[in-house]
Formats: sequence, structure tokens, C-alpha cells
Amino acid sequence: MFEQFGFVTVFDLLIRYIKKGRIKLDRSRFDVMATYHDPCNYGRKAQMRFGHGFFDEPRWILDQCLENWVDLYPNRMDQICCGGGGGTLVNGYDDERIFYARKKIDQIKATGAKMLVVPCHSCHGQFNSIKKQYGLEDLQVKYLWELVADCLIL
Amino acid sequence: MSESSAVIDLDRLDHTKFKSWPYSQDYCITCGLCASSCPASGIDGFDPRKLIRMISLGLEDAVVESRWPWICTMCAKCENVCPMEIDIADTVRNIRSLRERESVPGILHKGVTAALETGNNLRLPKEDFIFILEDVAEEIAEEPGFEGFRVAIDKKGANILTTIHNKLVNTHTEDLKHWWKIFHAAGEDWTVPSENWEGVSWGYFTGDDDAMKITAERIYGQMQKLEVKNLLWPE
Repeated sequence: MFEQFGFVTVFDLLIRYIKKGRIKLDRSRFDVMATYHDPCNYGRKAQMRFGHGFFDEPRWILDQCLENWVDLYPNRMDQICCGGGGGTLVNGYDDERIFYARKKIDQIKATGAKMLVVPCHSCHGQFNSIKKQYGLEDLQVKYLWELVADCLIL
Repeated sequence: MSESSAVIDLDRLDHTKFKSWPYSQDYCITCGLCASSCPASGIDGFDPRKLIRMISLGLEDAVVESRWPWICTMCAKCENVCPMEIDIADTVRNIRSLRERESVPGILHKGVTAALETGNNLRLPKEDFIFILEDVAEEIAEEPGFEGFRVAIDKKGANILTTIHNKLVNTHTEDLKHWWKIFHAAGEDWTVPSENWEGVSWGYFTGDDDAMKITAERIYGQMQKLEVKNLLWPE
């Protein structure tokens, strides 16, 4: 099966399009401070299970789309989970899931970012569902590929 | 924590119960690094060290009945700092797998059953799926720069096949557009299968390896049937 087909990750595909000039991006569309959340599965767990965590790739893509973004601290292997993974968005333990996010939210607030970029459906769902409770109504939560699509020069 | 664990007869502890597990749980030195690093420590009395100790002590019923393995997100922050390299996240997933399927919390197992029976977690019929995709494609085609945009369903020999997250054909159809716009701009030759398109494998969360295998095989089947060259499975 691995000989029969190729497999592409969201990161590698976006990077390939950008590097080969198949898509062109405008870095001036978003005049806000942004930050990036490392999802557990693309980052730490990919590193631990498969020997490669996708840490540099999304950050390179962010650099192509934004003038202003800062990392959360801690990040990469020491990243803090958002609380929306492992099926917690749909297992009914909502109070626990919302409380879980408190440390992540502190990290985001510390950056003052108005936009949070994530490459994971679970993280995206979690942040949008909890931002109100934590007083971050105005935080724009964006998929990494949504950011790329928003910056496309056609 | 379920009430049953409050009355544990210590004489009946069976330390050998999980001996066959390959996760090194018995090497725990109770240092507490896991508990200190875990963002879920303290929720409902949970912390990863307690959970690992319960397994080492053989408290099978208590650990399987507990809410703890479902509060944990299996993020592996604990595992990353564990000096004994105990596979804590996989351990949690395997505790989850021991739950009676009917007692799996929330809609997770219902989604797995739906996916096995219908090819997607929502039981969304094929006609409705196609209708939604084409409707969203028409909206994109109305935007400047995307004139003539079309969604390529079941396109044979395409370069890339992409799976779909069920929420994108349910409550979040707007979010279908991002990748599609990128494909269009990049001149990609892409396709979406009309059946077995589900990218979300909830068996990953419920510890159901059989279900995961079946859903992965179905995507493999679509790749073969449509003779697609590359798979993008963004979920």
C-alpha cells in the first residue's frame, strides 16, 4: 500500500505549492498579531511515535502569510494541550474539557494575539467553543489552510 | 471517579492483571513528573500517576469504570517527561478499549457504529453529501477569481484524493472552501470520493482498533477504485 500510493500531509502539500510557485501569497492581508498552537498529534505525538514532529513546517507557512506572529510559551514538545483532543469534544464531559483549557488560554492571553492559527480540527473546535467563557470573544481562530486560502493572490 | 473504587479490598489486589501490557506501567517510580506536567491534573481528582498506579495494582474494574481515561486527552505531555518512558497515552487508550461499548461516553461509539454501517459518522446519505458539496462549489464559483470552479467527485486518475471531516458537511460547510480554493489556485487535479469519505475515525478515541482498520481499508479501497496517486487525509 505504501508503495502503491503517495501520502501527503497538509503541511508538506502547502509547502510544495508555495515553494514551486503554484500559489502566491500576500503577507499584508492581516494586520494583527497572531500566534500558533501546536496540536499534540501533529507535534509531540508524531515526534514520539513516528520520529518526526511537524513543528518547523507550520511555522514556515505562517512566515509566508503573516508579518506578525509570536510563539506561545512553552511550545513544540513542551506544548500544552488545548483540552479538545482525544474525543473530549463529543464525550459529554464538557465542564471538564472547558476547565482543562485554562492553562492554554493563559498562554494565549500572554501573547496578546488577536488571531490563533491551528492545523487541527479538534483544536479549532475546542478554541471556538471555549473562547467566550474565557473572555476571548474577539479571538479569531483560523485553520492553517484557511489562513493560506485567505492570503491567496489570484 | 466511580463509587465502586472507594471500597477496594486490598487483599484482592491482583498485580499481575495487566502484566501482558507492553506499556512499562510497572516501572513507575512514582516521581510525579507526569502529574506535574499534565494540564488535566486535578480535574475530578485525576492525575496520570494515580492512573498508572491503579494499573500497577491491578485495579482493572475501577480503572475501566473511571471517568479519568475520558477526561485525559492522550496528549502525551506526561509521557514526554516520564523518566521511565512509560507509554501513558497508549495505556489510556487501552483502558478505554476495555469499556463496554454501550458505556463509551457521549456520541463517540454511536459515531463509530454509524461509520461502520453507512461509511460516515453522520449516516449522511450519498445524495445529500453530493448535494452539499455541489452547493458549496457553486458558492465558490460566484467569488471573483474562482469562476467556473467545480468540485471533482469520484474523478478517476486524480493526483490527490482528500477525505472530508464530517463537521464540514454538517454544521461547518464554509470550512470546506479553504482547501478547495487552494487546490483551484494551485491547479491541482483533486477529487473527493462520493462514498466512504469520512476522515474522522472515532475508533482512535474509543480504543477500537477493528473499526479504525475497517475505515482505513475503505479509504484505501477508494484510492484503488479511483486509481488516485496521492492521499491527503487532513483529519
